[in-house]
Amino acid sequence: MVNIFNHLGVDVEFPADQNCCGQPSFNAGLRLDARKMAEHTIQVFEAAPNDIVAPSGSCVGMMRHGYLELFADDPNWLPRAEALAARTYEFTEYLVDVLGVTDVGAHWDGVLTYHPSCHLLRDLGVDRQPRALLASVKGAPLVELPHAEECCGFGGVFSVEHPEISAEMLQRKITNLDKSESPTLVLADTGCRMHIAGGLNRQKKSQRVVHIAEVLANR
Amino acid sequence: MKQFRQRIRKSLADANLQTALDANAQRRVEGSVAAFKTLPDHQERRQHAHRIREQVIASLDDVVAQFLTKVEENGIIIHRAKDADEAVKIALEIINDSPPRRDTLSGTRVREEKQKNKKTWRSSHLDDLKKLIAKSKSMVTEEIGLNEALETADHRIVETDLGEYIIQLRHEKPSHIITPAVHLRRQDVAQLFHKELGIPYTEDIPTLTEVARKNLREIFIEADIGVSGINFGVAESGTLCIVTNEGNGRMVTTLPRTHIAVMGMERLVPTMNDLALMLSLLPRSATTQKISVYTQFIQNPLPEQKRHLILLDNGRSALRNSPLNDSLMCIRCGACLNACPIFREIGGHAYASVYPGPIGSVISAGLFGAEHAPLAQACTVCGACKVACPVDIDLPKMLLRVRAGEAPKAKEKGAGLSLPVKWGLNAYRRLALHSNLFGVTQKWMGKLASTTKRDFLHLPAWTGWGYSKNFPRPAAKPFRERWSQISENKISGIRPAKEKITKETHITALPTTPDSLIDIFSKELNALSGEIISVSKSEIPKRIITYLHQRGVTQVHIEPDLAEYFHSTEIAIQTEANPNITVGITKAVAAVAETGSILVTGENRDSSSASLLPEIHIAILQVSDIYATLEEVLSLPQLVNAATASLISGPSRTADIEMTLTIGVHGPKELIVFLIDG
Repeated sequence: MVNIFNHLGVDVEFPADQNCCGQPSFNAGLRLDARKMAEHTIQVFEAAPNDIVAPSGSCVGMMRHGYLELFADDPNWLPRAEALAARTYEFTEYLVDVLGVTDVGAHWDGVLTYHPSCHLLRDLGVDRQPRALLASVKGAPLVELPHAEECCGFGGVFSVEHPEISAEMLQRKITNLDKSESPTLVLADTGCRMHIAGGLNRQKKSQRVVHIAEVLANR
Repeated sequence: MKQFRQRIRKSLADANLQTALDANAQRRVEGSVAAFKTLPDHQERRQHAHRIREQVIASLDDVVAQFLTKVEENGIIIHRAKDADEAVKIALEIINDSPPRRDTLSGTRVREEKQKNKKTWRSSHLDDLKKLIAKSKSMVTEEIGLNEALETADHRIVETDLGEYIIQLRHEKPSHIITPAVHLRRQDVAQLFHKELGIPYTEDIPTLTEVARKNLREIFIEADIGVSGINFGVAESGTLCIVTNEGNGRMVTTLPRTHIAVMGMERLVPTMNDLALMLSLLPRSATTQKISVYTQFIQNPLPEQKRHLILLDNGRSALRNSPLNDSLMCIRCGACLNACPIFREIGGHAYASVYPGPIGSVISAGLFGAEHAPLAQACTVCGACKVACPVDIDLPKMLLRVRAGEAPKAKEKGAGLSLPVKWGLNAYRRLALHSNLFGVTQKWMGKLASTTKRDFLHLPAWTGWGYSKNFPRPAAKPFRERWSQISENKISGIRPAKEKITKETHITALPTTPDSLIDIFSKELNALSGEIISVSKSEIPKRIITYLHQRGVTQVHIEPDLAEYFHSTEIAIQTEANPNITVGITKAVAAVAETGSILVTGENRDSSSASLLPEIHIAILQVSDIYATLEEVLSLPQLVNAATASLISGPSRTADIEMTLTIGVHGPKELIVFLIDG
């Protein structure tokens, strides 16, 4: 992601004090914990006043919507959370909607298929942006993943709390990936990537899972 | 929680259930998408419906008061129940006080003959005061446990929706709020009917449906009391709206001398216009139909009938005053169940609540308390439920609030999480709040991971993660460390001007159709297996008599108002309800072109039955009474001024066995509209 921004002439800084946005605790229902992590994140980024970009729809969903829920009744923190939410973007959304770029000059050898991650697709409504970026990649025909919009079964803590259900959902995703006949699955979130890649590896499958930034940075 | 996990494992291991659930998810989700395509402005309608329901919940006390005032003026007896026990007690009192059926409907002879033969259920009961109750599908009566309570009191209550009938015979609970027998395959039903009803084994769905029709017909005719739920109450008119496909809803509210309607206090809309909007969304979401076959509007009791309305709270007031209040906007369409990838894997029974799936995980915890709170953990927060919801309830948000302990009677935070996960999250929080510690941990994990050459680590199954996937090896050098190098070599550039790209707007043009209303109406009704015969005014009733002759009909049941126009020497004209007559003739006072529906009104049992009991329903409609939209017809005074009115959209149908469409369940098997043109 940093390489791509550098290529596009955009300065990037990385506030070293940042950790986790707090989504795992928030989604588990442990809101006091999540709140502390959210306060920390807000403070860290208040010291860095530019736009915030994350390579994960899930984290952006948390910072854009989750924080507003966490601080809904807190007149001190809510405006700070709102200010943060207003300048936080998911990577592909930022490229296409803010920078107005769909062709980053990338090249990729071989067929790609795209999995729209749940939070990216339904929480943020980001879908045409990654698709437009992928359509501009040279050398990579994009094939449609059957039932692409179905969840892969990750769901954070869900994947360890309900491993049996998670396994069934993952199998469905892998079967659909097989059907697409694409050697490479591209997505724009880190949790789903870890999950699907872990499942493919367990089954000794040959398909690769890559983050969209890996594709876009490839020249 | 342990039991929940056991139920989940059982569901996952059940191959038949898996096949059934897959078929349900696929057909319903795809079907619903197709159904909404016929409603180009459905996203606007969805938002509008959201606002209407939101306002109803916000001012619920006032809306309830207005509604009940009207209902009472309409002659319906009102009861309010604060909880399930009270609702059951009220129902039992009504049932005990209501007179047993003594009337002229020729079906009563069936009972007398059967009693002579000692074949009827009553023969096994010495106490002849016990009542027979015919029930139309209703989730709220499941919620209060009405069936069990009435059976304990030695009454006989019979479910008449085909799906509910099947599961009642199996002594099971519904596994889906719309399609209660969705977990069963035709072979299961075939076995059940063979064993319980003594018919020869057959997997032919129309045959199985016909068996249910015959058996339940006797129940409708003999029942002392009819029990139904209510889909919507309309505050401005006191109208009770019931939506069914099979016709059982009309049967139980029309034939018995006592009708008991049970409804959740939140199921209200302010106006008939709002109702029209809801009716454009509910069937599309629930059963992928533009409209259900029977949309019934009840204003008054029929002559010699008592209607009771039990308005149920049972935790709804508390839910309304909680952060889960948006869940009360639900119109019980079941779309979120069909869309949910977890429901698709585990089915309804695994939830062990009347209300399963996404909405069930919210309101079960919200209405019934802590034991249901762990259900909300069985969710990846994927958001498919929110997209599917026709009133745009933010279900993921509600589910996360349940997890956060915000339900009125389920205050534990993270309820249902296993201890190791809680400890893990606790440790993680400690790390995340100390940037040094977080970085140091990342670094050490990287160092540790670099001792292996494998890209993925094989974790054991008990870790949860290791059950079906390997774990990617952490980066040897975390990004945090690489950053210092990257930032030194970075290319400084000019920051592009920030210009927001305006989002694409999808302008969906309304279909400009040259079709006349007649054409649209005919096309829609034909698609619903209804038939249209165009006639001129002077030809009526001669054409109908000729038509009946051709079909060898010797006896017809004619709506009393029409009888004077019909004369025939060969065909006996009857105006009284009689289940042995195969043809019924009624007026259609209006029609809806966009849905292919006709509107019939009923002031008494004889007039209402003519469009319900016979196998063939003939309706006479004037071209000038065809309206374009549902909204227009729902605003007609003849609808709200009638004791009851029904929009009929084709012959009765069901899809309760393997979602296979079968025509002719409880209501007519044929609908023929004689359209008077000029």
